[in-house]
Amino acid sequence: MNSLRADLSIAVGGLNLETPVVIASGVWPYDPVLWSPERLEGVGALCTKAVSLQPREGNRGVRVWETPCGMLNSIGLQNSGVRGFLKEYLPIAGKSGIPFLVNLVMESEREVRENLSILRESGDAIPAVELNISCPNADCDGMAWGISPESAARAAAIARSEWKGPLWVKLTPQAPDLPAVAKAVESEGADALVCGNTWLGMAMDLKRKQPVFRRVTAGLSGPAVFPLALRTVWQVCGAVSIPVVGCGGVSRWEDAAAMILAGASAVEVGSSLFADFDLPRKISEGLADYLADAEIPNLAGLVGLGRKEKEGGRPWAQD
Amino acid sequence: MSCGGGSPRDYAAAVLGHRPLGDGSGLLAVRCGEIASCAEPGQFVLLRPGTGNDPFLGRPLAVADAAGDVFKVVYRIVGRGTALLASKRQGDPVTVRGPIGRGFFSARGEKPLPRKVILAGGAVGAAPLLFAARRLGLSRIEKTVMGVAGKGWEGFAEWLKEAFPGVDLFSGDGTLGTKGTVLAGLPGTLPADSELWACGPQAMLSAIAAHYPRDGGRILAALESRMACGMGGCLGCVIPTVSGNRRVCVDGPVFTAEEVMWNELSSC
Ligand SMILES: Cc1cc2nc3c(=O)[nH]c(=O)nc-3n(C[C@H](O)[C@H](O)[C@H](O)COP(=O)(O)OP(=O)(O)OC[C@H]3O[C@@H](n4cnc5c(N)ncnc54)[C@H](O)[C@@H]3O)c2cc1C
Ligand SMILES: Cc1cc2nc3c(=O)[nH]c(=O)nc-3n(C[C@H](O)[C@H](O)[C@H](O)COP(=O)(O)O)c2cc1C
Ligand code: FES
Repeated sequence: MNSLRADLSIAVGGLNLETPVVIASGVWPYDPVLWSPERLEGVGALCTKAVSLQPREGNRGVRVWETPCGMLNSIGLQNSGVRGFLKEYLPIAGKSGIPFLVNLVMESEREVRENLSILRESGDAIPAVELNISCPNADCDGMAWGISPESAARAAAIARSEWKGPLWVKLTPQAPDLPAVAKAVESEGADALVCGNTWLGMAMDLKRKQPVFRRVTAGLSGPAVFPLALRTVWQVCGAVSIPVVGCGGVSRWEDAAAMILAGASAVEVGSSLFADFDLPRKISEGLADYLADAEIPNLAGLVGLGRKEKEGGRPWAQD
Repeated sequence: MSCGGGSPRDYAAAVLGHRPLGDGSGLLAVRCGEIASCAEPGQFVLLRPGTGNDPFLGRPLAVADAAGDVFKVVYRIVGRGTALLASKRQGDPVTVRGPIGRGFFSARGEKPLPRKVILAGGAVGAAPLLFAARRLGLSRIEKTVMGVAGKGWEGFAEWLKEAFPGVDLFSGDGTLGTKGTVLAGLPGTLPADSELWACGPQAMLSAIAAHYPRDGGRILAALESRMACGMGGCLGCVIPTVSGNRRVCVDGPVFTAEEVMWNELSSC
């Protein structure tokens, strides 16, 4: 994107992004056409679909359901396993020239250790890992790893010990004390936090008189969750000093600007790509114009600017 | 035109014409040269019925015809999105993602076109079959069988008769055409040189598949599923097939009947 009116490049958690717009996990297909630079204009990085150790079939029954200004999903992490990913999809992801993060499923300690040791065999071909700690903890009580600071810290520590490259940890907003979880993950050496995953919801099928989804609950995403996500970004940015990537309901450049003003260094965009392929370009252009009009020289200058009044800026925001 | 390398794109388009067919169904003509010139019968678009974020998702609608820079869709009101479609007037802007999926022609792989095709449609399932009929040419159409519920489908039935000359029409309540389902209009065995192309409610498609248990490879069925992305990314639209989960949006919507695990399909 050469035509931008301001420099949007920013270093986030071990990756140098040309723009702060990251495609969120679970929405972009491994379609060589869609991974071409022409179709990824304005994109700073992409997260792959979830990658688990073994292939997963995913959930049966209805998987997506529209809600006001958003949607529920219960996909169940369908994927062809880490070996399948390396064989079929890594070549496609690697060709785009845009950094990508492998979104990692974590159900058990063993799973994540083995998964990362397999990914390590590919060396530099894997630029970064995004650890999804919204998955249920199969070793313990089945509650998501990211719910308590202790289990989240444990997850981060294991991933950190097995993966020296850039490690982003994607939090779940279901955590009752998200700032505490964020701090715990930071203290185990994560390079950045993604804040966050979908919000637990459900839908009822009035025709069949039963829940729409076989697993009853499902993840809410899209513009409907934006104010909630912005609030968590604000809280988490107040609690940690590593970069935070805002995620949830971003559907316009203004949303991205709001999250960055709240302290995020970048944003992830998911469901809104279902409405508009071209959103990353539009967000990047909007942000660049916003910076240029405000005479802020670079994106880092915007990070956390919205907190200055409240607390005197963020410690790591460079001027 | 490169046709997006086979992957859909989003287009800002405009409604060129709207022909209500009565009882909440109608025909919309949309001006969008890229989709009109690339679409193949059986492919569909995701049409966003409003502007802004609500309704959030595009509505999957089969391409019912395409010529020049105009393509058509046929709708029937079932909920909020289709009701919004029904209120569209000439000149109204719409956003369309498309063309999406594997249609009747490409679902057959490299095989040459069959000498004869039987078309079987249920309700708005007639839409992609109309496009197929236009592209196949009358000489290849062996028979066209359509089914509707009956009362409340009068205008739609009139349109079916106009769009498919010689159509055999069936209705559940017997008020339109012959009483019965499309199955009653289909031959007991599939002629050797023919294929059957079908689109309609899931129950109709699975009944057709069950009717010709040995000829599943010659039955092409266009399926429905709830969708979010229409680009193969979200995995929201998958159905169980003999080769595992497959995405209705980009691996389908047209599948051979032998691929689909009919007993394990959940309703849409
Ligand atoms: C490949 C394909 C082609 C189709 N072609 C046509 C066509 O040519 N003409 C036509 O009238 N209808 C067609 N349909 C069905 C049409 O998509 C739905 O009737 C429509 O999405 C309903 O939207 P709504 O807002 O009115 O209903 P609502 O029930 O309010 O919709 C809520 C959500 O459910 C989804 N949904 C509801 N019913 C269906 C369904 N049967 N299939 C998929 N999603 C559904 C909607 O898209 C929306 O996301 C097709 C469906 C598919 C999958
Ligand atoms: C269909 C779908 C599939 C998703 N799959 C994953 C996944 O595999 N791993 C993950 O960490 N998040 C997944 N997510 C969550 C998104 O990455 C994102 O965190 C969430 O949707 C909120 O952002 P949005 O409102 O911009 O969509 C998925 C979301 C959707 C809608
Ligand atoms: S609708 Fe998203 S994969 Fe088919």
